[in-house]
Amino acid sequence: MAARVLRGLCWARPALLPARTPRGILHRAAAGAAPSSEFRSQYALDRLYPEQKRSDAEEGTQDGTKQTSPDIPVVNSKAEVRFHLASADWIAEDVRQKIAVMHKNKINKSGELILNSEVSRYQMKNLADCLEKIRNMIKEATQKSSVVSKENSQLLIARVQKMNRERLRQKKINSTIKQSRRVDFD
Amino acid sequence: MAAASRGGGGGPKALELLRALPRVSLVNLRPNPGAKKSERRRGRGRHGGKKSGRGHKGQRQRGNRPRLGFEGGQTPFYLIIPKYGYNEGHSHRRQYHPLSLQKLQYLIDLGRVDPTQPIDLTQLTNARGVTIQPLKRDYGVQLVEKGADNFSAKVNIEVQMASELAIAAIEKNGGVITTGFYDPRSLEILCKPIPFFLRGQPIPKRMLPPEDLVRYYTDAKNRGYLANPSNIPEARLELAKKYGYVLPDISKDELFQMLSTRKDPRQIFFGLAPGWVVNMSEKKILKPTDERLLRYYSS
Repeated sequence: MAARVLRGLCWARPALLPARTPRGILHRAAAGAAPSSEFRSQYALDRLYPEQKRSDAEEGTQDGTKQTSPDIPVVNSKAEVRFHLASADWIAEDVRQKIAVMHKNKINKSGELILNSEVSRYQMKNLADCLEKIRNMIKEATQKSSVVSKENSQLLIARVQKMNRERLRQKKINSTIKQSRRVDFD
Repeated sequence: MAAASRGGGGGPKALELLRALPRVSLVNLRPNPGAKKSERRRGRGRHGGKKSGRGHKGQRQRGNRPRLGFEGGQTPFYLIIPKYGYNEGHSHRRQYHPLSLQKLQYLIDLGRVDPTQPIDLTQLTNARGVTIQPLKRDYGVQLVEKGADNFSAKVNIEVQMASELAIAAIEKNGGVITTGFYDPRSLEILCKPIPFFLRGQPIPKRMLPPEDLVRYYTDAKNRGYLANPSNIPEARLELAKKYGYVLPDISKDELFQMLSTRKDPRQIFFGLAPGWVVNMSEKKILKPTDERLLRYYSS
């Protein structure tokens, strides 16, 4: 079963070994760049995933975030991220201002935005959480509120009124039915 | 008197003493005081006798107590709690022995595991870092996050399962991690290679993972050994962005050759192919020459 799935991954091409140009990048060599003495079975990765032209993935992370380790000398798992908001050129200007307004409680006197995280017992996870919070803040600040046009707002009001009318009509019908079933003491 | 009771000096002085003392025999031997404590026999003497530890009258003394679990008529605990299949099929579940990054760092620091060679289950077993019992449904080793914050070793490691933080911790230090599947027979051979070689059987080919594990091992996020190698740099970058570290460029490393060595999906040992017979006593390797065998072992 697994064999069938894996063979399906092969592109329908004859299994000729492509001339391998040694590229000093991890993924290519990690595929088991095969010298002739190495063992290669039918499931060798070069055969499962034949070479394709692709551009190298850029490697790098956001710069501008610093991690300050707290002064407590014992096992520290709290992660704190702070960066000077005004001079962060990796955020757009208007987004920056919006963040300064939305999260003004998190900005200190010298203009640094400070974020803490203590969710997990591992500092790496807490750092990841801090970065996730920064991403969410930027996402919120980039959102534009939807403006309802005049016709649409009138349509919405008309719809609500119609709903209410219909609801009251149904209620009156139900009420007449119930009344017709009543038997008064005569 | 036993010769051992004379502590005296070491070496030659003790020998001199031994020459002068009488021969050790059953007559001269006795255990150290306090080593043997005699048991309390019931019905004998002040402490074992009279009621002999049975209490006073009633069911206790007369040996008529009800069965274990009986609660005097109240529905007992073992009947009132509903049945639920917590342990159902437990003997068919795959188990993975946890290996924390802390323990790995400990083994590397003590020199039991060599970080300049690819680290495999065989290396971990030889270093007695883990003990795998393939017969108890163990399917290998899983890398666990404990000690991720203090991990600082650059290794090329192959485990059976790894959590995301563990992968991040290893790649942060410039290492390489792969997850690979071993079926029980291959696992037993991997953990105890020498008894296998002594059997004189050809090395079998490693079987592919079962259906429910194929998805796990073809995913670059888990660094599966069957995943597309071109997806792995993206996965590494994604992890680096998530956890906020700069991804070190391994290709500039001096150990790049070692770090990029990986096993073929059908291979159990580095440098040995399936079908080969290893002769330990004569230090020879026998390889098959028949065409059908070669076709079988390379499929």
